[in-house]
Amino acid sequence: MKNKYPYTFFTILLVILAMVITACGGSSTEEPAAESGSESEAAKQTDESAAGETASSEAEAITLKFVICCAPEDAVTYNEIFDAWKAAEPQYANVNIELDVTPFAELFPKIETSVAAGADFDLFQADGPDIKHYSYNKVIISLDEYFTEEEKAEFLPQTIEEGSYLGTFMSPAIMQSCSLMFYNSDMTDAAGVQPPQELDGWTIQEAWDAWQATQTDENGDGTPEVWGIRWGQGTWTGDYEQGIIRRSAGEKDSPTYNGMGPDGITFVGYLDTPEAIAGYQAYRDMHFGEKAVTPIESIPDIFFTKQSAFVVHPDNAIGTINRLYPDGDFNYGVTGIPYMEGGTELCHTGSWHYGVSPNSEHKDVAAALVKFITGHDGARIWYDNVRQLPARFDLLNELPEYNEYPQQLFAQGLQEIGQPRIQTPCYTEYQQLHAVLLQDLQSAEELDVAARVHQAASDIESACAKYKGWNE
Amino acid sequence: MQGTAPIQTQSLSLRRIFNWRRRNYLIAFLFVLPALINFTLFRYYPIVSAARSSLYNYSLLGGYQDFVGFDHYIRMASDPSFWNSLKVTFVYVLIKIPIQVALALGLAIFLSKQSIGSSIVRSAIMAPMVTSIIVVSIIWALMLHSEQGLFQSILVSLGFQKVRFISSETRALPTLSVMMIWKDVGFSMIILMAGLKGIPRVYYEAATVDGATPWQRFWNVTMPLLRPVLMFVLVTQVAFSFQMFDPVFQMTKGGPLESTNIIVYYIYQQGFLFQDMGYASALSMVTLIILLIISYGQMRLLNTDY
Amino acid sequence: METMQNPPDAQAKSVPPVNLTTAFVKKALSFGFLDILRWIGYLLLVTIFLTPFVWTVLASFRQESEILANLFPLSLHTFLPRAGEWTLEHYQTVMGLNEVGARESLRFDRNLLNSFIVSASVVVASLIFNTLAAFFFSRLPFPKKNILLLYVIATLFVPVQVTLVPLFIVVKQLGFGNTYWAMILPWFASPFVIFALIQFFREIPHELDEAAIIDGASYVQILRHVIMPLSIPGLITMSLLEFQFIWNLFLWPLIAVSDKNIQVIQVTLALTQTQRTTYWGRRFAGASLASVPVIILFMLLQKYYTEGVAQTGVKG
Repeated sequence: MKNKYPYTFFTILLVILAMVITACGGSSTEEPAAESGSESEAAKQTDESAAGETASSEAEAITLKFVICCAPEDAVTYNEIFDAWKAAEPQYANVNIELDVTPFAELFPKIETSVAAGADFDLFQADGPDIKHYSYNKVIISLDEYFTEEEKAEFLPQTIEEGSYLGTFMSPAIMQSCSLMFYNSDMTDAAGVQPPQELDGWTIQEAWDAWQATQTDENGDGTPEVWGIRWGQGTWTGDYEQGIIRRSAGEKDSPTYNGMGPDGITFVGYLDTPEAIAGYQAYRDMHFGEKAVTPIESIPDIFFTKQSAFVVHPDNAIGTINRLYPDGDFNYGVTGIPYMEGGTELCHTGSWHYGVSPNSEHKDVAAALVKFITGHDGARIWYDNVRQLPARFDLLNELPEYNEYPQQLFAQGLQEIGQPRIQTPCYTEYQQLHAVLLQDLQSAEELDVAARVHQAASDIESACAKYKGWNE
Repeated sequence: MQGTAPIQTQSLSLRRIFNWRRRNYLIAFLFVLPALINFTLFRYYPIVSAARSSLYNYSLLGGYQDFVGFDHYIRMASDPSFWNSLKVTFVYVLIKIPIQVALALGLAIFLSKQSIGSSIVRSAIMAPMVTSIIVVSIIWALMLHSEQGLFQSILVSLGFQKVRFISSETRALPTLSVMMIWKDVGFSMIILMAGLKGIPRVYYEAATVDGATPWQRFWNVTMPLLRPVLMFVLVTQVAFSFQMFDPVFQMTKGGPLESTNIIVYYIYQQGFLFQDMGYASALSMVTLIILLIISYGQMRLLNTDY
Repeated sequence: METMQNPPDAQAKSVPPVNLTTAFVKKALSFGFLDILRWIGYLLLVTIFLTPFVWTVLASFRQESEILANLFPLSLHTFLPRAGEWTLEHYQTVMGLNEVGARESLRFDRNLLNSFIVSASVVVASLIFNTLAAFFFSRLPFPKKNILLLYVIATLFVPVQVTLVPLFIVVKQLGFGNTYWAMILPWFASPFVIFALIQFFREIPHELDEAAIIDGASYVQILRHVIMPLSIPGLITMSLLEFQFIWNLFLWPLIAVSDKNIQVIQVTLALTQTQRTTYWGRRFAGASLASVPVIILFMLLQKYYTEGVAQTGVKG
């Protein structure tokens, strides 16, 4: 009895103390919130006054938190764009932009964690197909009111499709993409292979002969010094490039080609048709067995370090080659992207989009920034640094290099064979589960391909069931 | 409380004792208070919060949806990936812990002698331990790479074929285990060394006088006296090993064929990648309970020595 | 006990028990043979534990294109750069000392310092608060301490992956989001350290503090003048373990902190590989920076904890 008393006493004490601490902490968060609240009012006022008279731009500083992807070099490009923004639109000279650079693999977890904790960022960079996922979950606002119809019409139709959700425009993109097949022409010449320098290229079966012909293992240790192909940029495995093969196995607009049902949540009968399974089998055969033409554990920069003869890559490979070989001692060519025999040639489109958070205190400013980044001037700076297909007609038309081989093939490819990746709020789950499937296909020693693909289709389907009725 | 006559005095003295005690309790409690506040705020609040999430359809982006009760827990029973992840975790722990503790004990004995040589070796063994697990994963991933890793070069120079380590469903988990033993063995070694040094020399001397062989001394002097420390190492290492995450996250992503999909990575996958934090929370509640049961068993063993 | 016998039995064969008695045997038997064996063992262990670091550090001084070019066949130059290949470029880059590094605002040195600040703060706070708590559990009077102990120890088993988000929410509500505090506060009390210190404190004879109580010493005085001096080795060992625990954190700082000026090196290091390319030079230089200073630091401190622990066994 004596023993019980202090227990309750101290439990209460502990709870009170914890509450006091939380309360103190709570009040300290409220303060900055209150401040930023008044800031946003001030910002609105300055916006208005700026609209009225441009002279009075001496306003309180506004800070935008911007989550971007990948590497410090990306921050360099963004900072260039921000400088241009403030120069072009002086009413935003008071805006200070805090960049949060996050590695690609951790970008999504970072954003979702921030959102779960109340999203303190104003805007973020997102992979195109994820826009539907963000929209479904209402963590991104509509930008319809910030873009006129003419402004929207400047974007390529694929970009509009990828950046919209149920007819509402959520998010513009800074560039577009279409992967074709590059080849090292010194290697193809040595092997006596002549890839067609046009969009209408080889089937995968035809390409395979070329991959095998260019693959060399001179010291005979069983591992080639030069591999035939790397299918996809970097070392990453995902839907963007590796997901093309199975879709290409179907005729245009067949279930295989579409990749999923029109409801956006059905995958059985789309992902695992006999044609699609043949596509996945081909993907596995590239890595495994007698006909292997690519390393199971991918080698970083394999094509650019002359360790593979072919690579399936978007046109930013040209920028990379120019940067790595400024003296021009890298001879290359471009051909169409290989597709499964009896199927359809296609490349996946889409790239980086930008979203504004509903929690932002400065939505107008953030939207203005998004508009500038993806506008003509911002996208031009991006292009000059990254050198990849623009998402805008005005920019595409002013770049003469897109009228000439090789870059012309990418512009043409985008328009003729470019297909957005499957458009569903479930893309995020699909992408992760599909990456697991691809990892198994390319590295598991014992595998029943058909069974594994069927299983993946039903796994994805059950993960997607929660979105039932999203587009009705 | 049974006396009747001297009620007055007894209750007075009782109260005095009680007050004295209470004052002491209060002072004593202040010692543990900061730690308790920390645990309450930063461990228990999140646990309770996760326990709540496990009863809902909940995703980080979408927030709380419908209340589903124990559906997530029921789903676990028929989720082959969950059972697989448990199996993988147990295999990992069962490979790693015995080897690591045996090695650590061997090393602690081998290096207990004070000399320049042993102090250099001790430092070398501690090097991986004080290196962050991310850096270790990065370095090992480079060394193990099937085409351009340092290990492959060593294998080839010894006349072997190149071997795929982390991309093979049969070798990935053993490889990670070896890597983690390499990293963690120093941790156990230090504690065991402390334990060994705590064994008074007189016991060995007495045993030697009695004509015990080194083998008998090891079994009859070292092992019994080291048992509490050994158990401590076991309990804590099991708890840590159950939560091994970063190498899987960095190197294998749980694959291939879920062969390295240990439970905490599966939780991460469900919560952060497959957008099912409700299910992930249920998974971690179950993991927590499993760990508590295992550790309770271990603690019972540990406590018998006191 | 019989079931216990088998595994150690197996290990005892692989690690000859001979070593236990080398001290005695050495004097009696010939000097040379066992010494040679032991030094072979030393050499083998040093090779196993240090080769990865040696390779990483030496590779970080190579030209970017040479880093992976010398792997096959295995030779001295797999490790050692040739005379003309040495370069400090990658270090200049990751510390922002050359044009590329400055343009990309790389500050690995700053991030390394942040890692140290965070780990050292946690170690200091941990020494204070965990010692107090362990002292409470091993010495002070309180009813049903076991329940409290269970409350503490149970947190050792919480998988951090799911509590990450609620924890982040707590830290943000307390107003510590995106600060050093976010990386320090949640970890200063450690169930592991408390658990371990209780074991250490138990070894100290109770007669000592009973004597002190009779002399009229307060709890704080007992802790300071009786317990702490006798458990310095234990405290040092725990500091080391706590340090490496914090030093290992990756997912938490990644999520809790977005300001790159206070970000720790483990996170910035992850930025050296993007989905497009891998910056080998930066990766190796960064990995070396993130590991070598700590390794050297702990080598210098080594005598404190390995020799220090020797005193623990006053009682036994």
